[in-house]
Amino acid sequence: MVRYILRRFLISLLTLWLLAAITFFLLRLLPGNPFQSDQILTFEMQERMMNYYGLNRPLIEQYFTYMGNLLQGNMGYSLKYTNRTVNSIIVRAFPVSADLGLRSLALALPVGLFLGIASARKRGKAVDYLCVVISVIGVSIPSFILGSFLQYIFALRLKILPMAQWTTEMHKVLPTVAIALGLLATLTRIMRASMLEVTTQDYVKTAKSKGLSEGKIIWSHEIRNALIPILTMLGPMVASVLMGTFVIEKIFAIPGLGLHFVNSITGLDYTMTMGLTVFFGAFLVSANFLVDIAYGIVDPRIRLAK
Amino acid sequence: MTRDFAGIPKDEFEFAGKSEEKSELLTRPSISFWRDVWRRLFKNKVAMTGLVIILAIALSSLIIPELSSYSYSQQNLRNINAAPSSQHWFGTDSLGRDLWVRTWFGARVSLAVGIFGSIIPSLIGVLIGGISGYFGGKVDMIIMRLIDIIICIPQMIYIILIMLVIGSGPVPLIIAFAITGWMGSARNVRGLILKIKEEEFVLASRILGASHGRIIFNHLVPNTLGIVVVSMTLGVPAAIFQEAYLSFIGLGIKPPIPSWGQLANLGTAVFRIYPTQLLIPAIMISLTMLSFNLFGDGLRDALDPKLRS
Amino acid sequence: MRWIRNYEAEWEIFVVTEKILEVKNLEFSFDTYAGEVHAIRGVSFHINQSESLAIVGESGCGKSVTVQSIMKLAPTPPGRLKGGRIVYRGRDITNYGDRQMEKLRGKEMSMIFQDPMTSLNPTMRIGRQISEGIKKHEKISPEEARKRSVKLLKEVGISDPDRNIMRYPHMYSGGMRQRVMIAIALACNPKILFADEPTTSLDVTTQAQILELMNHLKREFDMAIVLITHNLGIVARFAERISVMYAGKIVETGKTQDIFYDPRHPYTWGLLNSVPAVGKKRTEQLPTIKGTPPDLFMPPKGCGFYDRCEYRMKVCKENDPPSTEIEGGHFASCWLLDQRAPSIEPYFVKRHSKENFGKDVI
Repeated sequence: MVRYILRRFLISLLTLWLLAAITFFLLRLLPGNPFQSDQILTFEMQERMMNYYGLNRPLIEQYFTYMGNLLQGNMGYSLKYTNRTVNSIIVRAFPVSADLGLRSLALALPVGLFLGIASARKRGKAVDYLCVVISVIGVSIPSFILGSFLQYIFALRLKILPMAQWTTEMHKVLPTVAIALGLLATLTRIMRASMLEVTTQDYVKTAKSKGLSEGKIIWSHEIRNALIPILTMLGPMVASVLMGTFVIEKIFAIPGLGLHFVNSITGLDYTMTMGLTVFFGAFLVSANFLVDIAYGIVDPRIRLAK
Repeated sequence: MTRDFAGIPKDEFEFAGKSEEKSELLTRPSISFWRDVWRRLFKNKVAMTGLVIILAIALSSLIIPELSSYSYSQQNLRNINAAPSSQHWFGTDSLGRDLWVRTWFGARVSLAVGIFGSIIPSLIGVLIGGISGYFGGKVDMIIMRLIDIIICIPQMIYIILIMLVIGSGPVPLIIAFAITGWMGSARNVRGLILKIKEEEFVLASRILGASHGRIIFNHLVPNTLGIVVVSMTLGVPAAIFQEAYLSFIGLGIKPPIPSWGQLANLGTAVFRIYPTQLLIPAIMISLTMLSFNLFGDGLRDALDPKLRS
Repeated sequence: MRWIRNYEAEWEIFVVTEKILEVKNLEFSFDTYAGEVHAIRGVSFHINQSESLAIVGESGCGKSVTVQSIMKLAPTPPGRLKGGRIVYRGRDITNYGDRQMEKLRGKEMSMIFQDPMTSLNPTMRIGRQISEGIKKHEKISPEEARKRSVKLLKEVGISDPDRNIMRYPHMYSGGMRQRVMIAIALACNPKILFADEPTTSLDVTTQAQILELMNHLKREFDMAIVLITHNLGIVARFAERISVMYAGKIVETGKTQDIFYDPRHPYTWGLLNSVPAVGKKRTEQLPTIKGTPPDLFMPPKGCGFYDRCEYRMKVCKENDPPSTEIEGGHFASCWLLDQRAPSIEPYFVKRHSKENFGKDVI
């Protein structure tokens, strides 16, 4: 277990380093000088940029300056919001996105798992077909399209939920559902496949031969083992929720980090884009690492290995 | 089933001759693997429907823009945001461009990006995974470790970073996909090759002195072909989705070249007033993704030896 | 008896017979895409209290399906009980539903499976896998259940049981896992233990050990064992009676001596001939039964062994031979037994002499 965690930790570290290095070099590859593009920068701001990025210095020094900055958590200034650092924006906007993301996960996980189990158990019957249809559709319709539809139906036509922004509980419903649906579809599909795989295993037959009731078999034997592959997918799921927030926040005008990210791209705010990319990368790598630890704990084959 | 055994005449109790050929005869005719695959695929109505839709859309995308009198970038500021009419079958957008032509030209772009954006990374992955799996040892370990590290970060982030630098458009998009999308394929193929390498028939081949090339072509390729084709097919909707996503956030395909993602993006801006401008690309995207998913699933089921009847 | 049993109310009234399990004309099929597979086409046998019966046959003959359908473990979406009766201790359990079978499984009859590597839940500790069954059928405290699990592990020959209770299956070898399986199966002191090819995936030494263990436990726990195997060799020392199965039917049944010394079915002759023996000349070819079993999608109307039988007659093609009693519990289904059939001198190898029987067969 220790060896396993160390290995995952090392890989996480290397990944972060790789990401930082990539963003460093990409910044220098950007067409033209980002600081002299369409933006009208005051002299102070240019000074600031030069100092932060050390653009007058040799490349190696620039690299170490950059890395040093990153390690301290300093990600520079936004080109657009000229007086604000990337950090301050992150601190303001991240909680909003986190709220949205957590709600989506909290909705998608239990429902998706439950539907997956239900459709595996009643294989071939109505419930199964319904779940398969839902999951196939959910996978085929991109979340931003779904979000727009939900907006149209519930906000414009039926007028029962607000259109945009993130103030009351009612405001939070549609965006959450928009992200959760896609995730739910994938979860149902995977859980169904996992349950079906587990049900044919020999140890299920053993459990049955002991005379255990069906409920007990499903709970103690099947679900426990079926959840393990799902756990490995948790990392990519968090990533996809993150990606989802980018577009959903745009559609619903939610002042989260995703919105800032998308705006920074269209607005050519390169420092913001880079900074946020590194932040997202670090966030996801940490999330993956935590999932790896959880997996190591849950699977006794790993937990008890030397 | 009571039969009158006593009534059987005595002469029935004579020895019948013994025919050896008959005893070895398996009573079911055996079909070749690939014929069986085709047969099962054709029988799968859902998958076939998907295929038909894909072909229909592809064909339309090639033919329709050629037949139209408008070009995809032709603006007409006196007729903006028009509803569908006999002149403009899908209406016009906020710059007066004909949406019918833009939709079907966009089909070309999105399909091309989707298909090439799936095939090229797959092929790269097959190459790398194949080398890694076949030669094993240090090469394998290094490549796999590299992949482990790279893959921690979602592909989309890499693509965004790359596109910031190389700009937008269909070709840069495909390049970005190619650079960032080969990992999954490589891992799968490598795993498969490792498994096959251990199978006895490969061992037998090597003992009999087959060359590397022969082993690759006669053993490894046929067994991996199916899986690779399936993952390529299922990779298309993912690529289409990614293109739509990127265009939506302003990176993928920029106007005036239309793509479904871009049309969706433009459509969401005016969605509340002119819903058709979003509805049409949305339906096209969803329909195409769905069809590829269904066909890919059908392909995968057809190739699964356990379902062999 | 070692454990005190709690009889459930309904089982207090039972008929004490010598036969504890009787199977009559069992028919079981699987409905697949390609049609109906007639896996079992009319199987009849019985088990007496505390005896050991071996069901022998080649792969695909239906022996696993037979015992699985008795305990109703065969998956019933594709599988289907077509006909016949199963009578356990005087009660007809043929149409028992899941709820009723749950009361029997583990407590009255239990089973161990072929592949010990996959038969245990990898995420559950061994101790819990044993005590699960106990807790289901008997009301005892967790502490008491733990003590019994420890005792059972000791019974099956696993050392240091107190620590092993807390271990996970992946830490054990195949032989050890099979022992754990046996412990699980014996937890509630069942009357019948079905052993579905328990030693097939083990090496020869471990095989012998497991069989020894089973024999020993049979006496200790006073239970009947049904051993399913394709290996005639291990059967002689173990079983009191043998049933030979072919193509979904039982073709011969009898006491072990009868089967080995006075076999009457050509398939049994073939089986006995093909067991390798010490003392045969190295240059002699090992005799085999040429051909393959019939396709169970379209089972033959006549005798299933017709295509491969050296002694087949015209009558065998269209008519399925009935089960004929030879003497005292020895039955065989073959037209050669009919009085109208010509008498023949069967070619088969007698295993030593009758006097030496049971001493060193292989």
